[in-house]
This record gives sequence, C-alpha cells and structure tokens, in this order.
Amino acid sequence: MAHLALACTRAVGTAGARTPLMLRSIYLGSRNSELGITSQPSYQRSSYKIMALHRLSLRLRPTITHVRSLHTSGCRRQQEPVAAESEDEPFLVFRTQANDPASQSEKHMGQFYTVPPAHIRPLFPHGLPRRYQEQVKTFNEACIMVRPPALEVISCLKKTDYTKPAPRFLFYGLQGTGKTMSLCHTIHFCYTQGWLVLHIPDAHIWMKNCKELLPSSYNTSRFDQPLQATAWLRNFRVTSEPFLSKIKTKQRYVWTKREFTEEGRPLGELVDLGISRVKSSSDVVGAVMKELRLQSGQPGAEFRLAVAVDGVNALWGRSTIKKEDKSAVEPEELTLVYNLRKLMKNDWTGGAIIATLSQTGSLYMPKSVYLPQELLGEKGFDSMDPFVPVMVPNYSEKEFESCYLYFTDRHWLQHPQSHTEEGKKEIIFLSNRNPSMFDRICGFL
Amino acid sequence: MASLGSKVFLCVGRTNVSRFGLKESANRLAYSTLAPVNSHPGNKGFPDKNGRGPFRRKPRRDPGEPRTEKMAVDQDWLAVYPSATPFRPNSIPLPVRMGYPVRGGIPPEKKGNLELIKIPNFLHLTPAAIKKHCEALKPFCTEWPSALDTDAKCDMDFPVKVESTDYMSAGQSLRNPSARIVHLKVKLSSLNLDDHARKKMLKLVGERYCKDTDILTITTDSCPLRQQNYDYAMYLLTVLFHESWKFEPWEAEKSVADREEYIWEDSPSQKNILDVLLRMKVAGEGDDQEARDQLLERREVQEYKDSVVRLKNEGESESTMLQYKEAVKKVLSL
Repeated sequence: MAHLALACTRAVGTAGARTPLMLRSIYLGSRNSELGITSQPSYQRSSYKIMALHRLSLRLRPTITHVRSLHTSGCRRQQEPVAAESEDEPFLVFRTQANDPASQSEKHMGQFYTVPPAHIRPLFPHGLPRRYQEQVKTFNEACIMVRPPALEVISCLKKTDYTKPAPRFLFYGLQGTGKTMSLCHTIHFCYTQGWLVLHIPDAHIWMKNCKELLPSSYNTSRFDQPLQATAWLRNFRVTSEPFLSKIKTKQRYVWTKREFTEEGRPLGELVDLGISRVKSSSDVVGAVMKELRLQSGQPGAEFRLAVAVDGVNALWGRSTIKKEDKSAVEPEELTLVYNLRKLMKNDWTGGAIIATLSQTGSLYMPKSVYLPQELLGEKGFDSMDPFVPVMVPNYSEKEFESCYLYFTDRHWLQHPQSHTEEGKKEIIFLSNRNPSMFDRICGFL
Repeated sequence: MASLGSKVFLCVGRTNVSRFGLKESANRLAYSTLAPVNSHPGNKGFPDKNGRGPFRRKPRRDPGEPRTEKMAVDQDWLAVYPSATPFRPNSIPLPVRMGYPVRGGIPPEKKGNLELIKIPNFLHLTPAAIKKHCEALKPFCTEWPSALDTDAKCDMDFPVKVESTDYMSAGQSLRNPSARIVHLKVKLSSLNLDDHARKKMLKLVGERYCKDTDILTITTDSCPLRQQNYDYAMYLLTVLFHESWKFEPWEAEKSVADREEYIWEDSPSQKNILDVLLRMKVAGEGDDQEARDQLLERREVQEYKDSVVRLKNEGESESTMLQYKEAVKKVLSL
C-alpha cells in the first residue's frame, strides 16, 4: 500500500533513545487530531500514544520496518530509507543508528548519532559546551553530528601505530564552527575504545580569574592554583573511574612533612588526596600527568592515553593573573600550565593528543584571528610542531539541512514561518550556516 | 592653475618637469556684436526718469546673437582660444552646466555662471594646440638616441634616474623653493650586491625601498640648491653601496629575531621533526649525526621543510595550511 505512510518506531530496545515521534498517516486519519502536531513537545504523552499505535500497526502490518516518509506541512519522519525510495529525497535522513563512533564512516556524514546516556555522565562531566549541555537537557538526548573533521581524526587514530610518539591533532576554525563538538566526538570514540581520556575542557580558565594563587611548595618560582586544580581533579575522577584502581604509581611522592604517597599505590588514592588536600592539589595534578605520561605506551600498560585540551593556545598566551607586585604572571610560572605543556610534547607513546584552538576565551587576542600560527604564537607553534591541523568549517548545505531537520523534528522551531522555504532561506542568510549562530537564532523561533 | 607638463629625456637621464603658472593678467577680449545702431533709450547715469531731456544716458545696445551660433563645426579652435583665458560662455559652443542643482532641478547653465569662470580651463590646450606647440619646440630639441628604443635598454644603460621639478609662475619672484627637491631612483637588481650586502642595504634604507618594483628612492631636500641636493643624493648612494658590502664585527651577533626571513636549518621545527623521526625509528640506530643527516635527505622531510618555510614566510592561508597538513601526515606516516 504505497499511500500508507506508517512510521514505525525505532527498535524500542535502543538504549535510551526515546524520541517523540510524530505520526501522520492517511490510514489512521481519525487519529490525526490526537496525534496531530502538538504545540508543545510532550515526550511522554506522544510516546505513550506511539506505543499504542505501534502495537496497532504491528498487528496490522507486522512486516513493515521502513517507510517512505510523507512530506507534511509541519514535521517529517525519517528512518533509514530504502535505497530505491531515497534517491529522490536524499536530505531527509538526518539520524543514523551507528551510535558507536568506531563504526561511523563517510556515508554517515551529516547525520546525527546519539551518545548513549550511559556515556554522557562519565565522559562529559565538564567537557561539553554550555549551550549544548542545555540543549541536551531540553531534548533529553545528546545528538552529535558526524562531520568530516572529526571523522578524519578518528580514522587517523584507528590507523596509528601506538609504539610511535603520540600524534598531535589540532582543530581550528572560525568562531562557532564546532571545534569543541568535534573534540567531544573524538573523545567519545576514544572512550568507546577503552582509552583513558585526560580532558581539559578549557585551558583558558587556568589563565584568568584566579582567586587564590599560592607559591608552589615544589618549586618556589612557580605558582599554584588550588581551586582550579581541585575542580579538575574531581572531574577527572569521574571520567577515569575504571582506571583509578588499575594504574599504580611508580615513584614515591612527598607532599608535606607528614604526607607522602608510596610507590605502587593506585592512582585513585592520589586523586583523592589531591581533592582532599587542596593546598597540594596542583602538585597532585602534575604527578598524575607525569604518571600517565610515563606509563602509557609501556609494554605492561593496559590503557591508551588520550589527551584532549580545549583552547590549547592558552598555554602559550598571556595571562591576566597578577602577582603581588602587580606584574603579570608568565604561563610557565603556573604549575598547572607547566605540567600540561610537558604533556603536550610528543615524547611519550601509546596515545594521542587532540586539541582545539579557541579565540573565544583567549586573552589579548583580537576577535578575527583563528589560524593556528596567529593564535599559538611563535613559541606555541614551535612547541606543537609537527602537528596535523584540521580545519573545521561552517555547515555545508547537507549538514545544514540535517541540523534544520533535527530541530524541526525536536519541535525546537515553533515559529510557523520557520517551516517554510523562505523562512529557511532567511535562517541561512542570518546565520551564514555557522552552527552556533544557527543554534542561537533557532532559540528564538 | 593651468599647467603644461613636458618630460624631455636628455643624455644624462635627468628629467625636467616644467610648469607654467597662470598668474598672468587675463586678456580682456572685446565683444564685438552686430548690434543695431539705433538702440532704445535705457536709463543709465543720472536719474532721468523718462529718457527725455539733456542728461540722456548712452543708449544701451542689445547683446545680440552669441558667437556660438555662427561657429562652423570645422573651425580653427586655436583662433578662438589662442592662450589661457577665462571662460566665455558665448564663445564656447558646448552646453555646459556647472554648480549645485536647483532643488528638484539641474545645475545652472553656462550663461552668467560664475563657477565656470572661477575654475581653470584648458580650452587653449586641445590636442591640435599641443601639436602646434610641439612643432614650434622641435627646432630646439635634439634627436632621441636610436639605440635606446626599449625601456629595458634604458634601464640597462642608465640605471640611475634623477628627477627634479622646475616651476614657472608670473609673480614677483622667479624662485620657487620646491625646485630644490631631487628624487634619485635606482633598481637594486642593477647594483652589484650579494646576499649579505642586499640585506644590509635593505635594513639601512628602510622605508625608501619598494618591494614590488625593486626600486630604491632617495629624496633629498636638505640643501638650498638643486645642484647641492643632487650631489648629496649621489653621495648617499655611493656610501650606502660601500657600507652594505662591509662586514662589521657586531653583525655577527645577529639573532633569530633580526632575521628577515625564516630559515629552517637550526630552527626548533627541524629539531622537533628530527627527534620525532629518530624516536619513531628502531631504537637501536643511535642518535648520531649521520642518522640525522640521513633523515634530512629524505623526501618527506624536504617536503615538510618546504611547507614550514612557506608557512612562516608567506603567512597563513588555507593553501599553506593544507600543504603543511599533507606534509606532516606524510612525514609521520599517518
């Protein structure tokens, strides 16, 4: 029955992907008023009805597993279309079932995949951009678009030989093009492969707004930042749960006259010590980084290390923190930055370094710079050299379509004109296909 | 100010730009019109209301037809405007308009238009007039050397070009202080400079060098006479040349920051890539100079070096970044 347009739900067993489905079917015309386009997205209500309808549809047509979507005024229903039917409507597919980044490839380009909710809490306690976190809360799911920059890095990571020094990848691009999201996508891949992810969500926060600056106990010329260090250690504890008991320290650390950590203690103890003893937390961070750096790639290590830094240009930039005599603090004089710089050098093996350049939080940088050499500066470039720069552009047409469909499907675009062609053209014009601008504009619609 | 420009190349290569300043008194042309002799009485002179009586004013003549109506299309324009004169609306057969447009209208016409009279006009300098001037000046000129028929040959034989300006004006004094300025232009490629000399010359000269045209321009105006300024300019050129060939002992302290362009040898980039490559290879090879030299010979490393040099010297752009990315991927075999 070609004119039957029944949309069937996704396999109910998909972990946590409860998407509210809007059904429009000619056959079930009487149902339209109930299941018609509601003014508010109400997940529970429609999904209950969908379950009912699903049972109904299963009784009627148990063999339907795919549909041809019907173009309606308000909503579109997409599934992975049958190849024969999809030739004339290539843009309607915006979701993909391939939720494992390792299985994604070029044919999933432009489509959204859902991060399983079980992964969100442990992997991204602090890593996602703020607006995206709010979006995740609103839509009740975390969908990331599969885009060429992230795919390129992931394919490189799949092919690298981990006995060689860690390769360095750098995402760069204009403001709001999706560098942090690409980084998160890559981190998700590393996580699903079982790597240990060392994620510094924003290196810029270590260079500014420091409420407490202590002289370092380890090296008197350096400065500690206890608050930032403790916050980071807390989040690190969440991300590296499975590894904390497996990795053992290889040397003895003495923190104060009475506190020390013996050799062979689990890393978790070190991290807990750092969180509880705020004064020595920066040194603990340094110790953690050193341990991980030395141990990854060694024959006995069971883990691979992924270092992900957002805003890596902060490490070689200027800081607004002032010493007591009102002179500015150099980045090298901060313990956290010093240790992170050591980690960014590729003298260790068995992992990868993925970083993003960001002008947004940077200090003393004009707004128009986005190229690596301008943001990193001479010293930064020489330290990061050789690295693989990966450009993250604005959405292409296909990607924009996909995102637009996603928002429409989520009922995020409520304004009636946003569903028309002119409305779409207006949105394209206003946002220039820049992902963050598009997101901000749609927030008003 | 009407001006006449003429450049005459003499043997030495000195150019003179002459100018006429228009400060002559304007010739007053008398209008001759075929006005009727008997004109009606007008009221001029003494307040004589009706025009009868002993103090009758000179009768005013009609202006008559403007001369433009009688001009033939192929007339000799040089007869109408033989020299620089103010604008005469009735002598110029052009419907010229000038001035700010009336509200909702167009600029005012030429008749009685003060704007047109105020501005300088070049009606006496039509191409035909210029030709006549050239013909008149020809007896005073010498032949252009026939061997110098292209610019390239001129540059080869006369690389140094000296330019100065002569001013003429009708005023109380003939002298013009701007006439002492001398510009000396020379192409650096025609001077015999080696690499070090060229860099030092560029540093000494600074702003006076134009990179696109490779021309060094020395402008002198510190002396009161042109002859003195010319001598000074030639002296400066000589001194610059000889000084840039000398090598001072303190020049050996030139640091990385002083360099004009990026040199890859002994740069952090070279060290980094060699370290990475050595570590990537089998550990038993050892860290000696031969291994490093061998690595430097490899094609990927050369490509990497080219891309880094291009990136640093030319600045960043999409193409340079792409080239760098490809080179890094090849070198690290990703």
